[in-house]
Amino acid sequence: MKNRWTGNWISLQALAEREIKRVFRVWTQTIIPPIITAVLFILIFGYSLGSRITEVQGVSYLEFIIPGLLMMGVIMSAYANTSFSLFIARFHNMHQEWLSAPITYWEIIIALTIGGLVRGFVVGILILGVSLIATTITIHSIATLLFFIIMASLFFSFAGILTALWATNFDKLNVFTTFLITPLTYLGGVFYSTTMLPPFWATVAKFNPILYIIDGFRFSFIGLTDVPLWTSITILTALTLISFAACVHLFKRGYHLKS
Amino acid sequence: MNPLSADKPIIPAVSLSNLKKTYQKTEALKGINLEIAEGEFFALLGANGAGKTTTIGILTGLVNKTSGEATLFGKDVDKDYLLARSFIGLVPQEFNFDIFETVYNILYFNAGYFAIPKKERDGKIRKILQDLHLWERKDSPALQLSGGMKRKLMIARALVHEPKILILDEPTAGVDVETRQQIWKYMKQLNEQGTTILLTTHYIEEAEQLCKRIAIIHEGKIIKIDTTKKLLEGEHKKLEDVFIHLTKSYEE
Repeated sequence: MKNRWTGNWISLQALAEREIKRVFRVWTQTIIPPIITAVLFILIFGYSLGSRITEVQGVSYLEFIIPGLLMMGVIMSAYANTSFSLFIARFHNMHQEWLSAPITYWEIIIALTIGGLVRGFVVGILILGVSLIATTITIHSIATLLFFIIMASLFFSFAGILTALWATNFDKLNVFTTFLITPLTYLGGVFYSTTMLPPFWATVAKFNPILYIIDGFRFSFIGLTDVPLWTSITILTALTLISFAACVHLFKRGYHLKS
Repeated sequence: MNPLSADKPIIPAVSLSNLKKTYQKTEALKGINLEIAEGEFFALLGANGAGKTTTIGILTGLVNKTSGEATLFGKDVDKDYLLARSFIGLVPQEFNFDIFETVYNILYFNAGYFAIPKKERDGKIRKILQDLHLWERKDSPALQLSGGMKRKLMIARALVHEPKILILDEPTAGVDVETRQQIWKYMKQLNEQGTTILLTTHYIEEAEQLCKRIAIIHEGKIIKIDTTKKLLEGEHKKLEDVFIHLTKSYEE
């Protein structure tokens, strides 16, 4: 008889494969909508209303909003993927299949996160492709661009897992999206620079973590930031690590997973 | 002493020692003690709410125990949980697969969770689906299967990684007589081939037909464990009567 379980790479791979397959099985719901949303924003705010705004941070309004629109698609996609996948698994008791298999808790979290990461990354790259074709935007730093897409996908995948663990019904699942993620994203500097805000609101905006993610990500395109780049990188990294630790802790406790 | 000649201690397939579980203020298990030998076909018989599913939940990692010990083939289900779970094939009471996924993929992913390499999965899936007469439906989404087929799919999923112990929680609930007979026949074959089977049921006939040993669980306590034969040797000749007599005596 074996005294040590050694098969976990295969287990992790299988669970991650299932998550990735789910993303592409329902691609019309997972991939297409954020791209359509981004294109509509580009058309309305960039070409139509945006033509009335001269420049923001030294670039055209269209070039200014594209990084934010792209990051908004990444954030929403990664978050929606893990929150929905885990919540539905809990709703149909499918999570019992994972819990009764020889898989560690952190491997379940990693596999779910890979699904969110892939969806966020694919959506991000496709919006980027559309933007490069339809506008004159250029990339200033590929490394920063990849860092922010990957780290934001990870952070919001973990946030989605935490929401799915907390939510006990569909209404609660939507509470965070409606009342937190969406408002913070729209108020996180997608459409404006904090330098355009009155001093009081500029200070308030600094308590919004999404502001740092979008501002840091915008550096990848225009090479300029409202807050120092390293501040954004540090805040995003810290949030990602904290949310991962919270996921592991709740999984270990079996919070809303075990009775 | 020559270690090769020394008698090895016999490790039970399942060992429960003073196992307790309390849900808020309700004591679901009040100190269960039980040993099941490797290769046994064992039934945990009890009414709804007696503690059968909680016991299985603790063994399979779905329920946190309050106190006591539970081991599978000598491995603690909490401390050695990865190895302990690698021995298990679980058929839960409720359908809990992805209904939009195909029959084949449900087994393919589950085999992966139990670390079956990709190249070995197809052969195992084909065999188990053919054995359970589901191969023709391998490309159907689970959603499209009949109730009996879904039940067989649950059994196929539990067996695809060839577990040492198969744990069945009310495996024939809601299936027709023909499918029930097919499942029973298959369970008997599996047991003859060496798989330990732990069955929980409230169908008395099921326990009587299949199991060599039965534990009667009532209000979170095991009130009787014996061979099926011995249970039927007393004044009550039907297991149903034995069950009613024992549970009534306990309440009195």
